[in-house]
Amino acid sequence: MSETPLDDRELRALMTQYQRADPPAVEELVRRISPPLLRYFGASRVDRNDAEDLLQDCWIRIHRSRHTYRASEPVMPWIYAIARHTRLDAYRKRRRMESREVLVAALEERFHQSVPKAAPEPDAIEHLVASLPESQREVIVMLKVSGMSLEEVAKATSSTVGAVKQKAHRAYATLRRALGKDREK
Amino acid sequence: MRNHPRDADLERHLDAWAASQAEVELSPEIQRNVQAILKRSLTPVKPLPSHGRLVLAFLAVFAVGAAGLIAIMNQAGAHLMTEAQIAGMVAILACGGILFSLLIAWQMVPGSRQGLPLSLVLALSGCGVFGGIAVLFPWRTSHAFVSEGWPCALMEVMIAVPAAAVFWLLARSGALFGGAGVGAALGGLAVVLALAVLQFQCMFQQAPHLLAWHGGTAAILIGLGALIGEVTPVYLRAGRYAGKAT
Repeated sequence: MSETPLDDRELRALMTQYQRADPPAVEELVRRISPPLLRYFGASRVDRNDAEDLLQDCWIRIHRSRHTYRASEPVMPWIYAIARHTRLDAYRKRRRMESREVLVAALEERFHQSVPKAAPEPDAIEHLVASLPESQREVIVMLKVSGMSLEEVAKATSSTVGAVKQKAHRAYATLRRALGKDREK
Repeated sequence: MRNHPRDADLERHLDAWAASQAEVELSPEIQRNVQAILKRSLTPVKPLPSHGRLVLAFLAVFAVGAAGLIAIMNQAGAHLMTEAQIAGMVAILACGGILFSLLIAWQMVPGSRQGLPLSLVLALSGCGVFGGIAVLFPWRTSHAFVSEGWPCALMEVMIAVPAAAVFWLLARSGALFGGAGVGAALGGLAVVLALAVLQFQCMFQQAPHLLAWHGGTAAILIGLGALIGEVTPVYLRAGRYAGKAT
């Protein structure tokens, strides 16, 4: 399936048509926005099926919230803000379910302890990113995987550019240290 | 972010990881399924009013609610306060109302630029109310501190809870995903309204009474609002179009 680059002016026009209940605009929006959304969910420590479930859940939330989009604002921060809440709610739900299982906490602890020992293989960086605190990992995923600007990440996370920069800086410092340790071994 | 000598290496790793994520392809079946679900419930919607109009709507309800309740209830407190105390408390509570209205309006629209974080609004409001009371009112206390205090706390709860419900009804026309943040902001605005009414009604205009029974109850109610926001299921937080989407 070919992926059309995201042009904000076109997306704004499509969103306005979507608010007016134009079916082709819905089809086009789903076609253009779903691939980056799937990548965003895929980079969030979930398997392919869960990422697809999150994508569908996210589209239902976008649909319910479509009246909150304003044509004067860029589309993608609005979309990612909804995607972020979809992911967080799913994460909390999963945590609640996991907390009912006796062994999960111990297993998770073992997983996190094993992360820094990972060798700098091609997928090591994925494990290192996965081991970052939630707020830092989210910023790295949005900046690197979703290709968003600092300003867009700040809007999507209801934060400020300064706070995003600080989280990215801390994440880089942690990743740099972890990669350095890997080299020394 | 990229000044460190080892950052070029880290950037290379991150770029490779980001590129591997880009290889994930969306199945046509999922895409068709999403398109079908959305088209099934596609109706025209009216976009939310501008941020400024949302803030004005909350402020109007806040002002009318506070003025109406002050007019209806007895105004014993107003007669006991000096002009400086009245002016100071009105200014502090009006600022609190504006800050919480701004906060709620930001939370109603996903991806809004958040001018002030919730923690800062809570800190500013807390410092304003507690600091204002501590400076403006005399530090006297009576022997009947508890028996004079609990009716005020009860009255504050009785005003704040319905006020929070009214503000929630207004706010739910947006997309409330914020959880604890939304709960605290709605609780904050309702509590400021209740504090304004109580200030004009209360017969015990002394700092210890106002801090403990008015301010203390306000802090507990905002915390309770945050807790309710956090545990409220997503479907209750969704906007007014929730029923039409599925």
